[in-house]
Amino acid sequence: MKIVFVAVLIWGTLLSAFDAKDLQQLKEDGDCALCDLSYADLSGLDLVMADLRDANLSHANLSNTHAHKADFTNADLSDALFVDANLKGASFVGAILKHVNFYEAKLWKVDFSRSKIERCNFDESALGSAIFDKNDLRDSTFKGAILYKTVFHKTVLGIPK
Amino acid sequence: MRYLIIMILLGLSLTAGELRFEHDFKTALQKAKEQKKEVMMIYSAVWCPECSYMKEVAFKDKALSEYIQTHYVVLSLDIEKDKLPEGFDYPGLPTFFFLDDNGKEQHKVIGGDKAGKFLKRLEALR
Repeated sequence: MKIVFVAVLIWGTLLSAFDAKDLQQLKEDGDCALCDLSYADLSGLDLVMADLRDANLSHANLSNTHAHKADFTNADLSDALFVDANLKGASFVGAILKHVNFYEAKLWKVDFSRSKIERCNFDESALGSAIFDKNDLRDSTFKGAILYKTVFHKTVLGIPK
Repeated sequence: MRYLIIMILLGLSLTAGELRFEHDFKTALQKAKEQKKEVMMIYSAVWCPECSYMKEVAFKDKALSEYIQTHYVVLSLDIEKDKLPEGFDYPGLPTFFFLDDNGKEQHKVIGGDKAGKFLKRLEALR
Protein backbone atom coordinates (compact mmCIF):
# COMPACT_ATOMS: atom_id res chain seq x y z
CA MET A 1 0.00 0.00 0.00
CA LYS A 2 2.84 2.34 0.95
CA ILE A 3 4.62 1.57 -2.34
CA VAL A 4 1.48 2.37 -4.33
CA PHE A 5 1.08 5.66 -2.46
CA VAL A 6 4.72 6.66 -3.14
CA ALA A 7 4.41 5.64 -6.79
CA VAL A 8 1.27 7.75 -7.22
CA LEU A 9 3.00 10.68 -5.52
CA ILE A 10 6.07 10.41 -7.79
CA TRP A 11 3.91 9.97 -10.88
CA GLY A 12 1.82 12.99 -9.90
CA THR A 13 4.91 15.10 -9.31
CA LEU A 14 6.40 14.09 -12.65
CA LEU A 15 3.13 14.80 -14.39
CA SER A 16 2.73 18.30 -13.04
CA ALA A 17 6.35 19.35 -13.19
CA PHE A 18 7.67 21.72 -15.83
CA ASP A 19 11.35 22.45 -16.04
CA ALA A 20 12.05 25.37 -13.70
CA LYS A 21 15.11 26.35 -15.75
CA ASP A 22 12.97 26.52 -18.86
CA LEU A 23 10.47 28.77 -17.14
CA GLN A 24 13.28 31.03 -15.97
CA GLN A 25 14.69 31.13 -19.50
CA LEU A 26 11.32 32.14 -20.91
CA LYS A 27 10.91 34.91 -18.35
CA GLU A 28 14.44 36.23 -18.85
CA ASP A 29 14.92 35.82 -22.61
CA GLY A 30 11.34 35.83 -23.81
CA ASP A 31 12.15 32.73 -25.89
CA CYS A 32 12.08 29.06 -25.07
CA ALA A 33 12.02 26.77 -28.11
CA LEU A 34 11.90 23.04 -27.30
CA CYS A 35 11.28 23.82 -23.61
CA ASP A 36 9.16 21.86 -21.19
CA LEU A 37 6.59 24.31 -19.85
CA SER A 38 3.81 21.82 -19.31
CA TYR A 39 1.42 22.78 -16.52
CA ALA A 40 3.22 26.13 -16.10
CA ASP A 41 1.25 29.19 -15.07
CA LEU A 42 2.23 31.80 -17.65
CA SER A 43 -0.91 33.88 -17.30
CA GLY A 44 -0.49 37.59 -17.93
CA LEU A 45 3.11 37.23 -19.15
CA ASP A 46 4.57 39.36 -21.93
CA LEU A 47 5.32 36.83 -24.67
CA VAL A 48 5.43 39.24 -27.60
CA MET A 49 7.33 37.60 -30.47
CA ALA A 50 8.38 34.74 -28.16
CA ASP A 51 9.98 31.75 -29.84
CA LEU A 52 8.13 28.74 -28.43
CA ARG A 53 8.60 26.40 -31.35
CA ASP A 54 8.37 22.69 -30.45
CA ALA A 55 7.79 23.58 -26.79
CA ASN A 56 5.69 21.40 -24.52
CA LEU A 57 2.98 23.72 -23.24
CA SER A 58 0.39 21.08 -22.52
CA HIS A 59 -1.94 22.07 -19.66
CA ALA A 60 -0.17 25.45 -19.43
CA ASN A 61 -2.16 28.51 -18.47
CA LEU A 62 -1.52 31.29 -20.99
CA SER A 63 -4.65 33.29 -20.23
CA ASN A 64 -4.34 37.07 -20.57
CA THR A 65 -0.87 36.78 -22.07
CA HIS A 66 0.36 39.38 -24.57
CA ALA A 67 1.76 37.15 -27.26
CA HIS A 68 1.63 39.16 -30.51
CA LYS A 69 3.48 37.32 -33.26
CA ALA A 70 4.60 34.58 -30.88
CA ASP A 71 5.77 31.42 -32.60
CA PHE A 72 4.09 28.22 -31.37
CA THR A 73 5.05 26.20 -34.47
CA ASN A 74 4.83 22.45 -33.71
CA ALA A 75 4.29 23.12 -29.99
CA ASP A 76 2.18 20.76 -27.90
CA LEU A 77 -0.64 22.86 -26.45
CA SER A 78 -2.99 20.08 -25.38
CA ASP A 79 -5.42 21.34 -22.72
CA ALA A 80 -3.77 24.77 -22.66
CA LEU A 81 -5.70 27.89 -21.65
CA PHE A 82 -5.56 31.04 -23.79
CA VAL A 83 -8.61 32.81 -22.34
CA ASP A 84 -8.60 36.51 -23.31
CA ALA A 85 -5.02 36.21 -24.57
CA ASN A 86 -3.74 38.62 -27.20
CA LEU A 87 -2.24 36.47 -29.95
CA LYS A 88 -2.40 38.74 -32.99
CA GLY A 89 -0.22 37.46 -35.79
CA ALA A 90 0.92 34.39 -33.83
CA SER A 91 1.82 31.14 -35.56
CA PHE A 92 0.34 27.79 -34.54
CA VAL A 93 1.53 26.02 -37.68
CA GLY A 94 1.68 22.27 -37.04
CA ALA A 95 0.88 22.72 -33.33
CA ILE A 96 -1.10 20.19 -31.31
CA LEU A 97 -4.27 21.99 -30.24
CA LYS A 98 -6.30 19.40 -28.39
CA HIS A 99 -8.99 20.77 -26.10
CA VAL A 100 -7.49 24.28 -26.07
CA ASN A 101 -9.59 27.11 -24.66
CA PHE A 102 -9.32 30.27 -26.79
CA TYR A 103 -12.40 31.95 -25.26
CA GLU A 104 -12.36 35.72 -26.01
CA ALA A 105 -8.80 35.49 -27.35
CA LYS A 106 -7.62 38.00 -29.96
CA LEU A 107 -6.55 35.78 -32.84
CA TRP A 108 -6.36 38.31 -35.69
CA LYS A 109 -4.12 37.06 -38.52
CA VAL A 110 -3.13 33.91 -36.61
CA ASP A 111 -1.89 31.04 -38.76
CA PHE A 112 -3.41 27.68 -37.80
CA SER A 113 -2.18 25.84 -40.90
CA ARG A 114 -1.65 22.11 -40.37
CA SER A 115 -2.35 22.36 -36.65
CA LYS A 116 -4.06 19.36 -35.09
CA ILE A 117 -7.25 21.00 -33.81
CA GLU A 118 -9.52 18.90 -31.62
CA ARG A 119 -12.40 20.05 -29.38
CA CYS A 120 -11.13 23.62 -29.14
CA ASN A 121 -13.22 26.47 -27.77
CA PHE A 122 -13.05 29.53 -30.06
CA ASP A 123 -16.22 31.09 -28.62
CA GLU A 124 -16.25 34.92 -28.59
CA SER A 125 -12.72 34.99 -30.01
CA ALA A 126 -11.63 37.36 -32.78
CA LEU A 127 -10.44 35.29 -35.74
CA GLY A 128 -10.39 38.03 -38.38
CA SER A 129 -7.95 37.24 -41.22
CA ALA A 130 -6.81 34.10 -39.39
CA ILE A 131 -5.74 31.24 -41.65
CA PHE A 132 -7.01 27.67 -41.44
CA ASP A 133 -5.50 25.06 -43.73
CA LYS A 134 -5.57 21.28 -43.36
CA ASN A 135 -7.53 21.35 -40.09
CA ASP A 136 -10.52 19.44 -38.77
CA LEU A 137 -12.84 21.89 -37.02
CA ARG A 138 -15.86 19.60 -36.73
CA ASP A 139 -15.76 19.21 -32.96
CA SER A 140 -14.63 22.75 -32.09
CA THR A 141 -16.98 25.61 -31.23
CA PHE A 142 -17.06 29.15 -32.69
CA LYS A 143 -20.10 30.69 -30.98
CA GLY A 144 -20.00 34.49 -31.27
CA ALA A 145 -16.53 34.45 -32.84
CA ILE A 146 -15.51 37.21 -35.28
CA LEU A 147 -14.92 35.46 -38.61
CA TYR A 148 -14.31 38.60 -40.65
CA LYS A 149 -12.15 37.75 -43.67
CA THR A 150 -11.04 34.52 -41.98
CA VAL A 151 -9.37 32.26 -44.53
CA PHE A 152 -10.67 28.68 -44.62
CA HIS A 153 -8.88 26.69 -47.28
CA LYS A 154 -10.71 23.89 -49.07
CA THR A 155 -8.71 21.37 -47.06
CA VAL A 156 -10.53 22.36 -43.84
CA LEU A 157 -13.26 20.09 -42.49
CA GLY A 158 -16.20 21.56 -40.58
CA ILE A 159 -15.89 25.20 -41.63
CA PRO A 160 -18.06 27.26 -39.24
CA LYS A 161 -20.98 29.13 -40.79
CA MET B 1 -38.24 63.62 -61.27
CA ARG B 2 -40.23 61.57 -58.76
CA TYR B 3 -37.77 58.69 -59.10
CA LEU B 4 -34.86 61.07 -58.57
CA ILE B 5 -36.37 62.33 -55.30
CA ILE B 6 -37.06 58.76 -54.18
CA MET B 7 -33.47 57.77 -54.99
CA ILE B 8 -32.06 60.76 -53.09
CA LEU B 9 -34.27 60.03 -50.06
CA LEU B 10 -33.31 56.35 -50.20
CA GLY B 11 -29.63 57.27 -50.36
CA LEU B 12 -29.98 59.64 -47.42
CA SER B 13 -31.78 57.02 -45.33
CA LEU B 14 -29.12 54.41 -46.08
CA THR B 15 -26.27 56.70 -45.03
CA ALA B 16 -28.10 58.30 -42.09
CA GLY B 17 -26.62 55.99 -39.46
CA GLU B 18 -23.10 55.95 -40.90
CA LEU B 19 -20.26 57.62 -39.13
CA ARG B 20 -18.64 60.66 -40.65
CA PHE B 21 -14.88 60.80 -40.32
CA GLU B 22 -12.72 63.87 -40.06
CA HIS B 23 -9.12 63.58 -41.22
CA ASP B 24 -7.61 66.76 -39.82
CA PHE B 25 -6.78 67.20 -36.14
CA LYS B 26 -7.48 70.93 -35.93
CA THR B 27 -10.75 70.68 -37.84
CA ALA B 28 -11.91 67.87 -35.58
CA LEU B 29 -11.13 69.90 -32.46
CA GLN B 30 -12.92 72.93 -33.88
CA LYS B 31 -16.01 70.86 -34.70
CA ALA B 32 -15.92 69.28 -31.24
CA LYS B 33 -15.91 72.75 -29.67
CA GLU B 34 -18.77 73.92 -31.87
CA GLN B 35 -20.85 70.82 -31.24
CA LYS B 36 -19.89 70.52 -27.54
CA LYS B 37 -18.59 67.00 -28.07
CA GLU B 38 -15.37 65.13 -27.42
CA VAL B 39 -13.08 63.76 -30.12
CA MET B 40 -12.61 60.07 -30.80
CA MET B 41 -9.31 59.86 -32.65
CA ILE B 42 -8.75 56.53 -34.41
CA TYR B 43 -5.22 55.57 -35.37
CA SER B 44 -5.35 52.73 -37.86
CA ALA B 45 -3.95 51.25 -41.06
CA VAL B 46 -5.48 49.82 -44.22
CA TRP B 47 -3.45 46.61 -43.83
CA CYS B 48 -4.76 46.04 -40.28
CA PRO B 49 -7.76 43.66 -40.43
CA GLU B 50 -8.92 44.65 -36.98
CA CYS B 51 -9.07 48.29 -38.13
CA SER B 52 -11.02 47.37 -41.28
CA TYR B 53 -13.41 45.27 -39.22
CA MET B 54 -14.19 48.24 -37.01
CA LYS B 55 -14.90 50.53 -39.97
CA GLU B 56 -16.65 48.02 -42.22
CA VAL B 57 -18.61 46.03 -39.64
CA ALA B 58 -18.69 47.32 -36.06
CA PHE B 59 -19.26 51.01 -36.88
CA LYS B 60 -22.18 50.05 -39.14
CA ASP B 61 -24.04 48.84 -36.07
CA LYS B 62 -26.87 51.29 -35.47
CA ALA B 63 -26.64 51.50 -31.68
CA LEU B 64 -22.86 51.95 -31.72
CA SER B 65 -22.77 54.51 -34.53
CA GLU B 66 -25.59 56.52 -32.94
CA TYR B 67 -23.80 56.53 -29.60
CA ILE B 68 -20.55 57.67 -31.21
CA GLN B 69 -22.27 60.37 -33.25
CA THR B 70 -24.06 61.66 -30.16
CA HIS B 71 -20.92 62.01 -28.07
CA TYR B 72 -17.95 62.35 -30.42
CA VAL B 73 -16.52 63.98 -33.49
CA VAL B 74 -14.62 61.12 -35.12
CA LEU B 75 -11.11 61.77 -36.37
CA SER B 76 -9.58 58.99 -38.45
CA LEU B 77 -5.81 58.99 -38.99
CA ASP B 78 -3.92 56.47 -41.10
CA ILE B 79 -0.46 55.39 -40.00
CA GLU B 80 0.74 55.42 -43.63
CA LYS B 81 -0.43 58.95 -44.37
CA ASP B 82 -0.91 60.86 -41.14
CA LYS B 83 1.49 61.69 -38.36
CA LEU B 84 0.07 61.13 -34.90
CA PRO B 85 -0.16 64.55 -33.20
CA GLU B 86 2.64 65.29 -30.75
CA GLY B 87 2.23 63.89 -27.25
CA PHE B 88 0.25 60.82 -28.27
CA ASP B 89 1.57 57.30 -28.07
CA TYR B 90 0.06 54.16 -29.55
CA PRO B 91 0.91 50.63 -28.41
CA GLY B 92 -0.84 48.89 -31.29
CA LEU B 93 -3.42 49.26 -34.02
CA PRO B 94 -6.14 50.25 -33.90
CA THR B 95 -5.88 52.67 -30.98
CA PHE B 96 -8.83 54.87 -30.06
CA PHE B 97 -7.93 58.08 -28.24
CA PHE B 98 -10.63 60.06 -26.49
CA LEU B 99 -9.85 63.77 -26.27
CA ASP B 100 -11.55 66.75 -24.75
CA ASP B 101 -12.24 69.70 -27.03
CA ASN B 102 -8.80 71.13 -26.17
CA GLY B 103 -7.14 68.05 -27.58
CA LYS B 104 -6.12 66.59 -24.24
CA GLU B 105 -6.18 62.80 -23.98
CA GLN B 106 -8.79 61.58 -21.51
CA HIS B 107 -8.84 57.87 -22.29
CA LYS B 108 -7.31 55.36 -24.65
CA VAL B 109 -8.78 52.08 -25.90
CA ILE B 110 -6.48 49.63 -27.64
CA GLY B 111 -7.91 47.16 -30.12
CA GLY B 112 -11.30 46.73 -31.67
CA ASP B 113 -14.20 44.55 -30.67
CA LYS B 114 -17.67 43.50 -31.69
CA ALA B 115 -20.12 46.39 -31.76
CA GLY B 116 -21.95 45.45 -28.57
CA LYS B 117 -18.78 44.95 -26.56
CA PHE B 118 -17.17 48.10 -27.95
CA LEU B 119 -20.25 50.09 -27.03
CA LYS B 120 -20.00 48.82 -23.45
CA ARG B 121 -16.36 49.92 -23.35
CA LEU B 122 -17.34 53.39 -24.54
CA GLU B 123 -20.18 53.65 -22.04
CA ALA B 124 -17.78 52.70 -19.25
CA LEU B 125 -15.55 55.65 -20.16
CA ARG B 126 -18.23 58.21 -19.46
